[in-house]
Amino acid sequence: MLKIYAALPPRKRMGILAIILGIIAVFIGNPQDNTTTSVNIKELSMTTGDNVNTVTVKELSNWIIQGKMDYRLVDLRTEAEYDEYNIPSSECVSMSSLTKSELMRNEKIILYSNDDIVASQAWFILKSDSYKSVSILKNGMEAWKNEIVFPSCNCGENPTTEQKQLHAQKAEVAKFFGGVMQADAGSNSKVKKDLPKLKAPKKVTLRTNRKKPAREGC
Amino acid sequence: MTAPFFKFGLFNDEVSFIIAFVLGLAFGFVFERGGFGSGRMLAAQFYFTDMRVFKVMFTAIVVAMIGLFYLSWIGFIDLSLIYFGDTFLVPQIVGGLILGIGFVIGGYCPGTSTVAIATGRLDAIAYLLGGAFGIFVFGELFPYISDFFYSTPMGRITLPELFGIDHGIILFVVILLAIAGFTAADWGEKYMASRKEGK
Repeated sequence: MLKIYAALPPRKRMGILAIILGIIAVFIGNPQDNTTTSVNIKELSMTTGDNVNTVTVKELSNWIIQGKMDYRLVDLRTEAEYDEYNIPSSECVSMSSLTKSELMRNEKIILYSNDDIVASQAWFILKSDSYKSVSILKNGMEAWKNEIVFPSCNCGENPTTEQKQLHAQKAEVAKFFGGVMQADAGSNSKVKKDLPKLKAPKKVTLRTNRKKPAREGC
Repeated sequence: MTAPFFKFGLFNDEVSFIIAFVLGLAFGFVFERGGFGSGRMLAAQFYFTDMRVFKVMFTAIVVAMIGLFYLSWIGFIDLSLIYFGDTFLVPQIVGGLILGIGFVIGGYCPGTSTVAIATGRLDAIAYLLGGAFGIFVFGELFPYISDFFYSTPMGRITLPELFGIDHGIILFVVILLAIAGFTAADWGEKYMASRKEGK
């Protein structure tokens, strides 16, 4: 058999080889199976340090204000919750469609949900599917609401100059995101916390906001 | 997964220029040695007298397809990171026809014309200047034709997604098509040669 094969002219040998590889390919089906994957436990356990893969809401708010766009902010809550209110520049991706979404493995991804549990699960799923740079927004939407949109002042009766400056900064940031400063830590309930209404049809603007990948190819 | 190397940050923009330069040299060298630097060779495709370009191109497609398929199967390359443009069906068919007409008239494609310039062919210089002028005209006219340019969008779509079948089946079909194409090309060459002798 091999002798006959070797005696054939090169182009026929190449043709036969191609057909064999093609037939095997039919049985393989899809080269990238998206549902099962093998996980490097050691590598994963090394990366789950204390705060290695977290982003604080303060950092995130600064990035948004600066117009930094080198990351993708993923909202893991339900679509209804997302439509009601979401962090600017985020996109709604449900847990089940996470690996089928448009997220790329080489992108910097920041996950958030109402708390850290859902985000951590999503972090694990993406990490085990070889997404390189995945982070969690620390304390998720709760922290975003309490520290950025409706921050409270803990300065007490006689604030120092530093505390005043901090207060002004916080108020500025809250204003940027359509929120308002809370009077005092103890008296939160006095001001009604109405989340800022979303102005534009979110999904459309989010898509177009994203920087298009540079044109490649010939 | 480790590839595509650039997208996983194994090297930066500067190094990617060097790699592109080296790949470009190799590409041009192979083109020239394959005889693609001659407008006659490319025009011969359309007279069915010498189907070398067709065979080389289709072989390259099949080799690349098999390579990508198996490399992604063993988990070496992430296919979802391989860039390809969005599909705009009708404008791309029209664009393909215009390119094809230019191909038949000039005897070059954009890549082979630059290869031909390297060996000093004057027709290739004229071809490339014409191409540059065409790009300029297109750029100036773009506001008027952008509606058409972006019509019939289909997004980033691949054949397996479009037909809803496995990658492997597409690969197998393309391999069969290639072999059928090569056989037909051989037959065409022989037929044209015999007709020439007959004259």
